[in-house]
Order: sequence, then structure tokens, then C-alpha cells
Amino acid sequence: MAAGNEEVCLPASVRRLLPPFAAAPFGPLLTLSLRSLARRRPSLFDRLGEHSTARFLIDPTDLSFAFNVVPDGVSAVVRVTGKSGSAPCDVVIRGPLLTLLGVLDGTLDGDALFFHRAISVNGKTEAVVALRNAIEDAELRPSDLLGLRGALARVADAGILGGLSAARHLAADAPVARARQA
Amino acid sequence: MSGRIELVCPAGTPATLRAAVLAGADAVYCGFRDETNARNFPGLNFSPQEMAEGIRFAHGNGSKVLVAINTFARAESTDLWRKAADTAAACGADAVIAADIAVLDHMASSHPGTRLHLSVQAAAATPEAIGFYAKSFGVRRVVLPRVLSVQEIAALNRAIDVETEAFVFGGLCVMMEGRCHLSSYATGKSPNLNGVCSPPEAVSYVEDAEGTTARLAGFTIDRFAAGEPAGYPTLCKGRFTAGDKTGYLFEDPVSLNAGSMIVALKDAGVTALKIEGRQRGKGYVTEVVRAFRRAVDAAENGGDPVEIDGIVASLSEGGRQTTGAYRKTWR
Repeated sequence: MAAGNEEVCLPASVRRLLPPFAAAPFGPLLTLSLRSLARRRPSLFDRLGEHSTARFLIDPTDLSFAFNVVPDGVSAVVRVTGKSGSAPCDVVIRGPLLTLLGVLDGTLDGDALFFHRAISVNGKTEAVVALRNAIEDAELRPSDLLGLRGALARVADAGILGGLSAARHLAADAPVARARQA
Repeated sequence: MSGRIELVCPAGTPATLRAAVLAGADAVYCGFRDETNARNFPGLNFSPQEMAEGIRFAHGNGSKVLVAINTFARAESTDLWRKAADTAAACGADAVIAADIAVLDHMASSHPGTRLHLSVQAAAATPEAIGFYAKSFGVRRVVLPRVLSVQEIAALNRAIDVETEAFVFGGLCVMMEGRCHLSSYATGKSPNLNGVCSPPEAVSYVEDAEGTTARLAGFTIDRFAAGEPAGYPTLCKGRFTAGDKTGYLFEDPVSLNAGSMIVALKDAGVTALKIEGRQRGKGYVTEVVRAFRRAVDAAENGGDPVEIDGIVASLSEGGRQTTGAYRKTWR
């Protein structure tokens, strides 16, 4: 899928299901998930090199909270935080949630999204480049983050990736203005 | 030259190599994770083990792998380039792409069985220059600088007896390749010696109420209003004020797209078409390679031209495309 310059924002109904207090469990869960991934596939984190200890603020613009991520292998930490400015960080990556997830699963091209200003970055550019390249090579699937294998992994991947694809189509079809105003 | 035209595609990581092969690349070019190749960016490129595995995968799927060792060896550290050349040969590379005469000489003398392609970094655009590389090192193919028109390429091909490879899509360099000093002037690092133009550690983006400011080693090189398309943070694509005008002083942020000229390039004697973008991701590589695969096959089979511009427009730098010097109109 190419990166167009359209914004694909979460529908307002979905955003209402994700208020800041509902995000609290994501921090510990994603921390466990990343550490588990590092134990199973340590080479994924090698590409980050010295930037594995950088603090990345991942800021989905259509959510009311952000994620502060230190992707330091088995010591990785993910914290749910407020928007930029509330926590120290080396890098800020900002964009709609479905777009950011598209970069994570390799569906979307990060450079093209940047050219079209669908995502923005600031801070240590070399850390962003290292993270982008590490993610590109990782070919992450939902089952990798969930620690699933075999048939269960195939079912989870098909379900989650299919759901994300459907969500992107629905969001692209929905009036963007409605999501912005909600 | 006769035979089917070869589609040569970029890969910055093993995953991208696999994507390029599965999307229809006849050959994939890639480099090691060090200063020996001209895309030496953080997190990019291949370890020796990854290169060997990548070559096995490509060969298993009927594709070739061309290893770029296309920077210029520094006097105090030539071992790095020598080791890269030896490793590429040991991995079973189908060809090594080089520009430095020291690297070319080492390959010719130590690995005569490995094909040598002359990198665009060598900026060889005359029969005399190409003849020198062919005679001295046995170079079999030259990657043409992006400054020649199709007519000039046809004339060149009539005067040489090595294959030529022409860029068809991706980023453009405004300078004669291999001779640009803008990045080293601003940052101390150059694409030719360190393998990196505008090293990311020298790049910063600062957002404020008026938009985004791009800086390179402290130099402000552009400002983008919200929603305005952006380009790579290189000095040659920067926007400056000179006299009473503000604009792109050297070159607009625009991608080369010669998808409409495949037949013309083939008729001009070009052997291989090259897609630029080893720093780009799987999404880009898959989409661009698929589009050009269809277009090349249509051209080879005498079918209707494939409409390629719309397919790849959204992947272009600055959202704009050009046929560059191939369709030169200013002479």
C-alpha cells in the first residue's frame, strides 16, 4: 500500500473506547511483550546498536495518550504517558495510530509517509533511522508481540492484520473532519 | 545489446532483499554494514552472514545479488575495503559494484571469477573512461551517471563493448556522481568516503507554530508549512534565499521516474534498469519493483505500455517526478 497524503484517523467511536485511564495496562503488557520478543529473537535489536537505550516518544495523534519506549532488548521498557513535553525523550514520532501500526507491520513506507507529512519526527534523527531500519527488517507480526506460535499464531495474525486492514479502509472512508472534531 | 532487459532493485536489509526477489527483481544490489558502501546509515545493510543467506535466497529464487563496495578506500584503512571485497566473493556474489581503482584492482587480481560492475560513483560517461576501466580491470558493466540523455546513451553504447545500466526510478543527485562535496562541507562526512550523505546525526527537524524547520549540522536548509510535501534533508534539495528570490537553489525535491522510457532505453542499448533506494523500506521496494516488473515485461513482450506514474507517485520524494536528463530539452 502506498502512502498517500490522506490522514487515516481512528473513528470517534473507537477513540471514546480508549480514554487515558484505559491505557494504563498497555505499559506493563507491552514491556513484557518486548522483553519476551528480545529473548526469542535477540538479533532484531542488534540493528539498533547504541540507539537501543534512546527514549522514543511514540505519539498517536488520534489518541489522548502516548508511549515512551526504550527498546533495550531484554531490559526494554514501555510506559504510557501524556503527550510530548510531559516526559523526557530523545525522539518524538507522531502520526495517526493506524498509520504508525502500518509502519510497524511493514504495510506502509515510512519515508513516503514523512515526505507527505503523514508522520512527523523530531529529536535524534539517527535513532529514528536506526529504529525504522530495525523494524523494517524485523518483519514483525502480531503473534511475535503476543508470544504465540503455531496455529494460534496464524489465527491471531490473520485476525489482527485483517482487522487493521479493515480499520484503515473504514477510517479512510470516514470523514476525517468528524474524527478531528470528536 | 540483445537479450531481455534486467531489472536491478535495491535492498537495505535481508527482509527487503527477500521482498525485492519475490516482487520480481532480476538482480538485487546491497552492501555491508560499514563505510564500504554508499548507504552507510544506522541500522541498515548486511552482516557477512546475512549477505551469504541473502545470496542463497536470491539464487534459490532465480535472482542475482550485486554487492556494492562503492565508496573510496581511505589510505589508513584499506583493509576494510579489501575484507569487504573478499567477503563478497566468498559469499558467492554475482558481481561487485565498485568505483575506487584500488577496490577494482583488488577484485580483478584476487577474484577474477567475480564480475565487476563500475559504480555510478566513478562518474564514467565517455568511451575513453569506460574503456580504461574495461581494459584495466575487466569491468563488464557500467552504471551510467544520471546526466546523459537517451540519445547520448545510444551513442555511448555504440562506442563501447561493455554493458550499461541506467537508473529508472528514485532519488536524484544534482552533482556529477562521486564528486559532490556539499555533505562533507557541512557535516565532515561524505557519501564517497564515509558512505553517507547528510548523516542522520547531523540532521534535525524542529517543529513550531509555523511548521517544520530542517537543519543540517546547524544550517537551516528548509522550512515546511504544515502539510507541505518534504524531501530528503540534503543541501542540494534545500530551499534558500538568493538575491530577492527564495527557492530550491540546486535542485527540487523530486524523484526520477523513467517508467515511460523503458523501450527507448532498451533501444538505446541499455542492458539493465536500476531502481534507487537502498534506504527505503519493504513497502516502497515491493510496490516499485512490482510496477516496474509489469512495465518491463510489457515492453519486452511488445504489449501496451503500463501506466506507471500513478502507481508510484505517492512514493516519490516531494511527491513529484521527472524524467531527468533522459528527456533533455534545454540543449
